[in-house]
Amino acid sequence: MIHTHAYAMLQPLAESMKAQHLKELFAQDSERFKPFHLEKEGLLFDFSKQKINTEIIDELLNLATEQQLDTWIERLFNGDKINHTENRAAWHTALRDVSSPNPEVAKQWRKMESLVNQVHQKQFRGYSGKPILDIINIGVGGSDLGPLMVTHALDKDKHEHAPDVHFVSTLDAQQLHKLLKRLDPATTLFVVASKSFATIDTLSLADTAKEWIEAHAPNQEVVMNHFVGISTNPTKMSKWGILLRHQLIFWEWVGGRFSLWSTIGFSIALRLGMQGYNDMLAGAHAMDQHFKQTPFKQNIPVLLGLIGVWNTNFLNLSAQAILPYDSRLKYFASYLEQLEMESNGKRTKRDGTAITYRTCPILWGEVGPNAQHAFYQLLHQGTERVMSDFILFSQGVSQPDRDRDRENYHHNLNIANCLAQSRAMMSGDANEDLHKDYPGDQVSNTLLLKKLDAYHLGMLVALYEHKVFVQSVIWDINPFDQWGVELGKKLAVDIFEHIKAQSVDDLDSSTANLLKNIWKQRHEN
Amino acid sequence: MKINVFGDNISALVCAGCLAETGNHVVLVGHRDNEHSEPNLTKLLDTQIDAGRLNISSAFDIETEYQIISFDPEQCEEGKRIALSLSKGHNPDRCIIIRSNFTMGTTKTIEKLAKTPCIVNPDFASEGRAIQDFRRPDRIIIGHRTPETLTQFKRLFAPFNRNQNVMIEMSPESAELTKYATNAMLATRISLMNELAEASESLGADIEEVRQGIGADQRIGTSYLYAGIGFGGTHFAKDLYRIHNLINPSGSKEGLLDAVIRINDQQKEALFRKAWQHFDCHLEDKIITLWGISYKPNSTSIEGAPSLELIKAFLNQGSILQIFDPMLDADFTMWMRENLSLEQQKRVHIATDMYEATQNSDALCLVTEWQAFLSLDLEQLKAKMRTPLILDGRNLYDKTWLNDNQFTYYGIGR
Repeated sequence: MIHTHAYAMLQPLAESMKAQHLKELFAQDSERFKPFHLEKEGLLFDFSKQKINTEIIDELLNLATEQQLDTWIERLFNGDKINHTENRAAWHTALRDVSSPNPEVAKQWRKMESLVNQVHQKQFRGYSGKPILDIINIGVGGSDLGPLMVTHALDKDKHEHAPDVHFVSTLDAQQLHKLLKRLDPATTLFVVASKSFATIDTLSLADTAKEWIEAHAPNQEVVMNHFVGISTNPTKMSKWGILLRHQLIFWEWVGGRFSLWSTIGFSIALRLGMQGYNDMLAGAHAMDQHFKQTPFKQNIPVLLGLIGVWNTNFLNLSAQAILPYDSRLKYFASYLEQLEMESNGKRTKRDGTAITYRTCPILWGEVGPNAQHAFYQLLHQGTERVMSDFILFSQGVSQPDRDRDRENYHHNLNIANCLAQSRAMMSGDANEDLHKDYPGDQVSNTLLLKKLDAYHLGMLVALYEHKVFVQSVIWDINPFDQWGVELGKKLAVDIFEHIKAQSVDDLDSSTANLLKNIWKQRHEN
Repeated sequence: MKINVFGDNISALVCAGCLAETGNHVVLVGHRDNEHSEPNLTKLLDTQIDAGRLNISSAFDIETEYQIISFDPEQCEEGKRIALSLSKGHNPDRCIIIRSNFTMGTTKTIEKLAKTPCIVNPDFASEGRAIQDFRRPDRIIIGHRTPETLTQFKRLFAPFNRNQNVMIEMSPESAELTKYATNAMLATRISLMNELAEASESLGADIEEVRQGIGADQRIGTSYLYAGIGFGGTHFAKDLYRIHNLINPSGSKEGLLDAVIRINDQQKEALFRKAWQHFDCHLEDKIITLWGISYKPNSTSIEGAPSLELIKAFLNQGSILQIFDPMLDADFTMWMRENLSLEQQKRVHIATDMYEATQNSDALCLVTEWQAFLSLDLEQLKAKMRTPLILDGRNLYDKTWLNDNQFTYYGIGR
């Protein structure tokens, strides 16, 4: 990136832009919104509150061209093995290609639909013959966050015969035990979702679940009626005991953090129904088409990605806040934390050499109105320069049993707060008393979507996926591996062995003494 | 006396027929499409028409003294329309009687529209014995507001109140609620018995013995104490949902009737669960025999019948069904077409003989207690069935006798 012509052109532009206050840009051009927003059906992207001008945008687009973004997009959609460190494709776009479905993918859709229908028609039976009423999704990372985020966001649109869906992911089993205490084993189905079907986190929880069913079922033979498996590895699923008719498959070319579009989305389909699941795929597919076909200048994910690069590498902003103004998107920031930071939180280029510039910023977030009472103080008056994405929906929730006027009142209040915060961050408010002085000049994007439903949520998630991809191309990163998470797993195995042996041999003094104290405290009352 | 009866359902037809039978001149404002499922109803109507006391017509005289509204609960609007046209009449002696089970409060609306007080006389007859229940009711509930209408009503219903006085007077609102409350009480008894039946199974008790024990208590009595595979029927279940919606907002909100309904829904699948457990969750390709499809004996009605839930459950697990019912009619074929896939329909074989339905069978499910099913030809069953397994949804059979004859027997709660 740093050796491109565009990079050289952008550097001086950054220097002069740093000297300008964001509010001056608005003062200079009362129609600033016009050149710095993009629209696509159901989505408006306002980036006028960024410290940019047309010259900067043009150079950023040149940067994308110089980094051969067009070729990379083509390779992404072709299913080329662009995850070269694992010799795999990253073909999540094929999972949602509803206009020309991949036959293998479509076959799994049909199997998923049949299982979903059985559950909805109350014909999926546990050992007692009673129908399944509760689903516990056991999975970590992508096998947890995606379905959790979506089912929570779209709970209002759940299928009329939807079972209750619960998610457990933490290997301390606290979440699981809490559920086992109140659920009926006869009517509970476990969905064990694991790409490799070898992750200790998932399998340890699945084993605990199996023991629970075994303790209540009349015999061993009927236990597996309570388990559905989702994995790329059918052999391992069979070995664990998952019945063939309860096995859902996905493929090596589906990355964990892109897997909600695959059969990992089974919990989503159970909750929303196949129609809801398909709508979500269709929304993502519409974004795919937009990303693939639209010239970079009008391409929303391309611009969203490039502006992030501009802020990180040229304006030296250090963090990215995600601020959805809808409580249904409670888990959206957590979802993006994985998507962005696991993808681009890297320091090695594709060719294996070290990176000498900054890459993925720290990303965090919270539902806007709650965050206002938490970290907005820092955004308004702190020393850190942060970029924010405000996410807002034009239409609020409308429920037939609620008072329409009160609904409008609350929704308008929500809109007012969102717009007020981005405006305050932009303009600030000078005051002689420094305690009450707001410097402003904090940049933000606003993503305005028509409404929060399966289609628009699919579109929003795909938008961020492509943003991440665009940035990875500019930064020359492979965004589809995650070698950084391996070392910790390896050391955990080693420390677990030490714990079993009650030995601290060969451990560093910090780890050794922490362990000793743990053992001591565990034997105290 | 001259009477108009409005409605087409069994309740209206029986009312019209029985009132004609006692010497009145009755016009049934409706038609005769629904009489086939009620025993002896056709004969009753034909006789009364032949005798000239019953006419069927779409036109009616608004000045007729007795106007009986007997529509289905869903036909509330029809009832109001009739009330409005009656308001134009001038007969000072007319008496409007509502036998329909409308939503609570509808009586008041009808009275307002008709500009006259009405009598509420809920129909408690059960399907299959509607005529005898009308002729010899165990109570005649009269919800009224004025002594005049009460006297008129009593005059009309005197022939059905001869042995002993079974008339109970109350306000129209109480009469409306009495009808709902009766069904709620009966349903609650049945669901409680089914709950106790399930407990009996795990505690090693026999619900039949328990039933006799508690039924002997005079405060409880013996009726509606049978554990079984749930209640069905057009009105019973529907009324229960209606009263559930009715008392939910005004009652304790503790969900008693919710539980009653849920237990009943679960109970309909009881025989399926027993087969499922017996075969360790493997029911694919098993041949299952069902005896009885209608929700009760001597009726063709299949609405809300447990058999339908069993059929769906078994077919979804890949079983093959061989069914027999003495009075199966087109309603069942229609139900299959609407609720089953073509592939599933192909796995349902309707037998013309009860034992033919047990050929190669892996399980015989007794679903409806038709008289023909009361005594078993065990030799024939043994020769025909592939697996000697009997699932008795009505606790009809002697389990010891069946066990002695090498049959595996499952009842409800025993």
